[in-house]
Amino acid sequence: MTTRRLFDLAYGRAGDKGDISNISVIARSPEAYQEIKAKLTAERVKAHLGGLVRGEVIRYELDNIEALNFVCHDALDGGGTRSLRIDSLGKSLAGALLYMPWDRQE
Amino acid sequence: MTYRIGSAQGFYGDDVTKALPMIEGGHVDVVCFEALSELTMAILQKDRLANPTRGYTWDIRVIAERILSAAFAHKIPLITNGGGLNPTAAAELVREIAAKKGLNGIRIAAITGDDLLPRLDEIKRAGETFSNLDTGEPLDKAANQAFLTANVYLGASPIVEALRGGADIIIAGRIADPCLYLGALIVHYDWAWDDWDRLAAGIVCGHLLECTGQVVGGNSLALIDEIDARDLPRLGYPIAEVEADGSFILTKTPNTPGVVSVESVKEQLLYEVHDPRRYLTPDVTANFTTLRLEPAGSSRVRVSGVTGGPRPEKLKVNLNRFEGYKRELIFTLGYPKAWQKVDQLQRMLEEAWAGLSIERVGYSFLGMDSLFDGLASLPEDPLEVIVRVVFTAADAETLKTAVRRAMANGLACPAGMSVSGLTVGAEPSPVVGLWSALVSREHIQPQVSLLEG
Repeated sequence: MTTRRLFDLAYGRAGDKGDISNISVIARSPEAYQEIKAKLTAERVKAHLGGLVRGEVIRYELDNIEALNFVCHDALDGGGTRSLRIDSLGKSLAGALLYMPWDRQE
Repeated sequence: MTYRIGSAQGFYGDDVTKALPMIEGGHVDVVCFEALSELTMAILQKDRLANPTRGYTWDIRVIAERILSAAFAHKIPLITNGGGLNPTAAAELVREIAAKKGLNGIRIAAITGDDLLPRLDEIKRAGETFSNLDTGEPLDKAANQAFLTANVYLGASPIVEALRGGADIIIAGRIADPCLYLGALIVHYDWAWDDWDRLAAGIVCGHLLECTGQVVGGNSLALIDEIDARDLPRLGYPIAEVEADGSFILTKTPNTPGVVSVESVKEQLLYEVHDPRRYLTPDVTANFTTLRLEPAGSSRVRVSGVTGGPRPEKLKVNLNRFEGYKRELIFTLGYPKAWQKVDQLQRMLEEAWAGLSIERVGYSFLGMDSLFDGLASLPEDPLEVIVRVVFTAADAETLKTAVRRAMANGLACPAGMSVSGLTVGAEPSPVVGLWSALVSREHIQPQVSLLEG
């Protein structure tokens, strides 16, 4: 059996401002939204992203578009050209979050 | 009557000619070009230091040479913040090109007042600390004072003034991205400066438009199966059809490739957004949590119900600071014992660089952990490992020495090691760090100057 991942319930996009990355998690259905709203906590997101996000993660809810927005501080290795990462703006960070295994608690 | 805004630029280097089918097809009443990212100002400062008549985005030239005649003939105003650090020089350039094209009577507006670099001391004396928004550190206390740029985010008011003055093309510096679009709406519908809901609707409209390709199928996970990749260079750029109450239809240039769907609008709505109840702009605080999105036909999405509240008391300032140089080398290592060779490479470089004042060194394994860090599990005995080494120093010479010393081990290296020749030949690249702060509005007075062609 293949592992169900957050990507199966949602899609999203990462954006950068300074050293902050925001990652949207947009539910694929109303049921999926209820599930991620109940279970995808800021703590779980921070634990999953590990060393990619060194600072605080804040979660915002948008019931109107069935989406969550995670604002991740200290997430871009200093941001902009300071970063030593090859993806210095964190374009791939939405994918990193969507890779989260969904059915087992991490 | 519906007012139609086209968006033909989302960054320095975007394909601004996407404005042409909008204008020539009669699909828009105004076109905006958003050219400035946080880092763009530092790039433009490099240009301005080399030549005081530069410091604007080169796209301005393309707009003047390829788009201005059509826009002027159709009476479609063009609005851009691509004037960057030198809107006045950019306006002069546009006037020269307009004269060559015989665009008599054209009105070119230059908006200035955002560049605070020459005024930092004066404003500090008036009591502003420009404390770092992330760390709280006052600007004066920073050990590194090598600030390259300091620009305050201006709102829509100078755009409004320029349009009311009859400008055919408006060239600004650091106007906040969505306020370029908001300015045109305020003029067309005569919205009041405290009509928070409508102003916020204009901001949401601008925010959805300002990244051009990103709302019509580009950088879209939602549309990954719908967009034909061959269409990516040809995507038709977005257009908003806005009503007097601030509601609008988001769509794209007719008869061009691309898709606008509720899903792709959601992706762009949250792009670079923090608290969705308080999206701060110079003119209004927008709330994204009351709006509604509905499909309204093929590649048409209706956006309504945006609400807003009073504008923030202070304005945001971004400063860019020179913080040294960085350099990368990419090494290839293969079977057998690839991990042992990676370890040897690291030890070899540590020895070779002993005594050099290298500040930071980062190793990553391309294709294994370079994007996802600890999420990746590394293979036990890989066939190949591509090692990216990034290192920084205060001066470029140290990095050049480091590369020379690493390359001197060309034959005295781990077995079968190679290095990407393109990375060996590259030059050290400046590291620019961002310092964000706030400033009181009383110190900021945007100026609009009109040139007649």
